[in-house]
Amino acid sequence: MAKTAELLPGTLDMLILKAVSLRPLHGYGVLLRIKQISGEALDIPQGSLYPALYRLEHQELIAAEWAQSDNNRKAKFYTLTPAGRHRLREETASWNRLATAMAAALSATSEEV
Amino acid sequence: MLGGLRSLWRVLSRRRSFEAGMTEELRFHIEEYTQDLIRSGLSPQEAERQARIEFGGVNTVQEECREARRLHLFDALGRESRYAVRLLRKSPGFTITATLTIALCLGANLTIFAVMDSILLRPLPFPEADRLVTVYNSYPKAGVERDGSSITNYYERRGQIPAFSSLSLYRNATAIVGESGFTEREQVVQVTPEFFSTLGLGPMLGRAFTERETSYQTDNVVILSDAYWRQHFNSDPGAIGRQLRMDGNPSTIVGILPPGFRFLSSEAKLFSPLSSNPEARSPQNRHSGGNSKHMIARLASEATLGLAQAQIDAQNAALGADNPKEQSFLSDAGFRSVVAGLHADHVAGIRPVLLWMQAGAIALLLIGAVNLMNLLLVRANGRMKEVAVRQALGASRLHVVSEAFVETTFLTMGGGLLGLAVGAAGIQLLAALGADRLPLGSNIALDARSAAAAFVGALLLGVLLAAPIVWLNLRGHSTATIRSEARGATSSRAAQRLRHAFIVAQIALALVLLSGAGILGLSLERAMAVSPGFRPGHVLTSQISVPWSSYRTWPDRVAFNEKLLRQLATQPGVAATGIVNNVPLSGRSGKSAAAVKGHSRRAGEAPRGHFAYGVDGDYFAAMGFSLREGRFLTASDSRRAGRVCVVDEDFARYYWPGTSALGQLVFNGPDVKDDSEAYTVVGVVGNVKQAGLTDEVAQGAVYYPYAMRSDENLFVVIRTSLPPESLAMALQRTVRQIDPDLPLSDVRSMESRITDSLIAYRSPALTVAIFSVVAVLLTAIGTYGVLSYAVTQRRREIGLRMALGARPGQIRAQFLALAMRLLGAGIAAGLVGAWIAGESMRALLFHVPPVHLATLIGSVALIGLVALGACLIPSYRAARISPMEALAGDQ
Repeated sequence: MAKTAELLPGTLDMLILKAVSLRPLHGYGVLLRIKQISGEALDIPQGSLYPALYRLEHQELIAAEWAQSDNNRKAKFYTLTPAGRHRLREETASWNRLATAMAAALSATSEEV
Repeated sequence: MLGGLRSLWRVLSRRRSFEAGMTEELRFHIEEYTQDLIRSGLSPQEAERQARIEFGGVNTVQEECREARRLHLFDALGRESRYAVRLLRKSPGFTITATLTIALCLGANLTIFAVMDSILLRPLPFPEADRLVTVYNSYPKAGVERDGSSITNYYERRGQIPAFSSLSLYRNATAIVGESGFTEREQVVQVTPEFFSTLGLGPMLGRAFTERETSYQTDNVVILSDAYWRQHFNSDPGAIGRQLRMDGNPSTIVGILPPGFRFLSSEAKLFSPLSSNPEARSPQNRHSGGNSKHMIARLASEATLGLAQAQIDAQNAALGADNPKEQSFLSDAGFRSVVAGLHADHVAGIRPVLLWMQAGAIALLLIGAVNLMNLLLVRANGRMKEVAVRQALGASRLHVVSEAFVETTFLTMGGGLLGLAVGAAGIQLLAALGADRLPLGSNIALDARSAAAAFVGALLLGVLLAAPIVWLNLRGHSTATIRSEARGATSSRAAQRLRHAFIVAQIALALVLLSGAGILGLSLERAMAVSPGFRPGHVLTSQISVPWSSYRTWPDRVAFNEKLLRQLATQPGVAATGIVNNVPLSGRSGKSAAAVKGHSRRAGEAPRGHFAYGVDGDYFAAMGFSLREGRFLTASDSRRAGRVCVVDEDFARYYWPGTSALGQLVFNGPDVKDDSEAYTVVGVVGNVKQAGLTDEVAQGAVYYPYAMRSDENLFVVIRTSLPPESLAMALQRTVRQIDPDLPLSDVRSMESRITDSLIAYRSPALTVAIFSVVAVLLTAIGTYGVLSYAVTQRRREIGLRMALGARPGQIRAQFLALAMRLLGAGIAAGLVGAWIAGESMRALLFHVPPVHLATLIGSVALIGLVALGACLIPSYRAARISPMEALAGDQ
């Protein structure tokens, strides 16, 4: 099993938004998709996924609808709302700024100081 | 924020499907994962076990999901509500007492608020009603504080006062309406053409009156109220253009008013033009005929009352300038035209009464609230240990706070709901007392607005009641509480002091209410004891209007009177009958001028307005007047239109002090004229109260023979040996026999007129009396409750002291001393309150000083006795505590 990383606080929401931005997903699908797009590197405790989904739905960043799953079962599918799309763009940009800055800071060598 | 609320509402409104969906969603997840694990090679049992472990506790996840959607707050509320209901059901005695107290106190407030709201707060039902004003003439130094406005005033002011965008005149009158034999007497408002546009609300069908319709002969038009249209024309729009017989003349219906139209307190269903002739509009009549006509106006935009007043003053000054004689007469009389807000002016008389009734109701509510607070504090104190334990076990402060709020709001809401019924009953009671005769009184109703006020009141009361409990619960250090309670120590000093302060406040408030009720009751009693100047027992009175159209000359009218009086005299039980154009306490009290030969006003002495009457038959005997000098007028004086008159004592004393009034000459009108027009005084009668029993000003009155001063309206007065009301039918029959077109109205005994005239004294006296009885009861309950609780709390201490040798008398004395201290402080505060209340109640008092010693002493004694009684029982119980039981029985 590949080595997994602990999630940083607040990043789960971002990952969910990203996952459902690609196509409508049910809860289990969100979990699988996050694992897949993170190259199996991120481990999400299964139980903490749903409170996050419900919180995002409450904030109207994602919307839910009951539909048929691939294996013909009824499942609740989540899609991104316009507000969610906006939020995802903002969060991505701010994450990228932070990551760039962190990377720059951490790659500093003694000559540069 | 808004999105959150929307989302919360979506979930709350479909709570069951939300829960089902959540369960389904989580099960789907676990099953999908199980399938995946099976596919990866695990046995089905093992896969399912693994999936469940990795998912974690389903219940925890569900709880977190609910929290994510903010449902947990509501769940907590629901839980606390159930808990509160359980607690309240566990102590039914407390719950019933508390609910009834709240229902009573809130209900009383609701009643008074509904009255206040209908009369004082709600604007008149016209657009921009705050711009409506009234203008009246005042001659204070002539004893005429308030007259209406004259026709001349109207024609001179209309269009001439820039501060008014519209100005009109109206007059309350009556008319006999309907076909011969089926007539009814209806109240009518006679109005000038722009009356409806001044109000901003006119006919919804047809049109308003025109300028042409303000002259006699062309004024046969009428506008119907919606109610009249519905009753008599079945809401037929074709009624416009049809005819209605008014006072025998066909009048064309030109307009129909909208359903909600109601002008001030008027019950009128018909509106007709206020017509006049050129003579009435002339400057000579500027100051006459004003007492029945009232001016209303609408302020122009941007204009203020002050501006309008200034413009009216300036016009009055300019108009007076060309007549110096009149000018000096007017300035001696202190003449001024006053502009006042229409609504404020209409309810000015009743305003202080209502404010005081509301203050009384609020005081009652405070007393009730104090009682509840004490009861709740006692309960909270008993539960402090439980709360402390729960806090120690991790209950949040928020939880403790919300629990207290939920419990008290449940109580106050329940009480408030019952209070609605109490309020409705209160309004019925006020209606039975005659509240509909107050200005705008017929508007009084318990509506959504007052109900909303009651709801807010109940909610606020709940929060208010919870505050000290929360304070008590959160303040104490919980471990200390647990320990101290475990030792069975006394309740905390702070809580005790709070309870004592409440008792003091309660006693003080009850004392204020009691003394207030005392002086109001005394006022009522003294007002009722005022002699009206006649003997009101066994007298029946009724109003009849005899229209000019069918009784054109005075002989016609006197002939009608004669026939009526003769036929009435044959009825069994009739002792004397008479006729007058304005019976005392009829609600009409216009005054007019009389001149006296040989009397010239001294410089600066004001001319005086006097009551003037036309009387026929044995009026004086029927009313039971007392004769001071000379003789009464009789029917024969009317028949020959004899130039004689009778004056009252005030009149005689004012003009002929020290000498006999008999043989003196009086003129009807402001000027001394030729002797041939003079009336010779043939008698002096005692004073009577025309306007109200509490009238203080001696106005003087002149009684002329009916022929000389007949009026369209007359009152017939019958003295009988039977109960007066029993003659009403006979009277009606007699009048119909003489003229089937003449309806009767306002048939009442003189005694009931007197009772009705005192409503402004009776209503507050009675309501405040009811309030203070309840207040005293509540205070007794409160005092008893707090002291007996103090005894229970200190059982252990008392037992210990008695075991150490304290005598029962000492224990008893100690508790009595505490009670006395509280009582003393309460009475001291209450006396100050009673003084303040009395001073500000001056306007409501009649012949009673604001600080009335006997009333105060009585109130203090009553409160003292009641409170003492409430103290004695707990004190004696304290002294009877057995040391062994107290020490052993404590857990």
